[in-house]
Amino acid sequence: MDLGKYRNIFIDEATEHLAEISSSLLRLEKDLGSVEAIDSVFRMAHSIKGMAASLEYDSITEVAHGLEDRMQGIRAAGRVSDADELALLFHGLEALEAMVAAVRAGGDPPPRRAELVSALTGAEASKKKALNPALPS
Amino acid sequence: MARVLVADDASFMRQMIREIVESDGHEVVAEASDGLEAFDEYKRVSPDIVTMDIVMPRRSGIDAVRSIIEMDPDARVVMCSALGQESLVTEALEAGARDFIVKPFKPDNVIATLTKVLA
Repeated sequence: MDLGKYRNIFIDEATEHLAEISSSLLRLEKDLGSVEAIDSVFRMAHSIKGMAASLEYDSITEVAHGLEDRMQGIRAAGRVSDADELALLFHGLEALEAMVAAVRAGGDPPPRRAELVSALTGAEASKKKALNPALPS
Repeated sequence: MARVLVADDASFMRQMIREIVESDGHEVVAEASDGLEAFDEYKRVSPDIVTMDIVMPRRSGIDAVRSIIEMDPDARVVMCSALGQESLVTEALEAGARDFIVKPFKPDNVIATLTKVLA
């Protein structure tokens, strides 16, 4: 299987998905309970995760998986809880944009973002820490 | 050789499955990028087997399986799932899907699963 071909498809498709995540997050900024926007971010993150996993881009897979997990919780709750949680989602988007840009620039998988992943998937404390790295651990 | 319908909202995944199934001598007769299209394409081309993603826009892969099985109880549908979707896979199997393959796809596993379901 020619993974080089799939790398190019990944860059194109992930870039489109990230643009859709961005516009959906902007919609959520106006309406934290927009079901359509919540579903869209969930599906786009899921799709990026699947593509990145196929190419063994572990760092991208982890962040996309974290974002997908967070969106699954938001789906169940019916809305983004507050501005902090929305900021965390934007953090996830920015990280994915930077990672896809790194693949586009050099083809090397970007470094892992363990703290962001644990904020997306984990406890309130780690969420706050990711948003404000100056906070004590 | 089987006639295959590939349903996935990601062009990346559709191309990957196409390459894998064609390498085993099968023919991809149609592609669909959401659950509604998957149902419509199933009616149009009557494939021997379907690979069906779970998370898709407009109608999920599970709802598409339900519609297909209601129309054709003998339909052979293989779900494409990701880690962490075990409960959705169970739901799809209860809805009538025959088996599932897990992303990221391993060509040997995909071919072995399709061969088993087609037997």
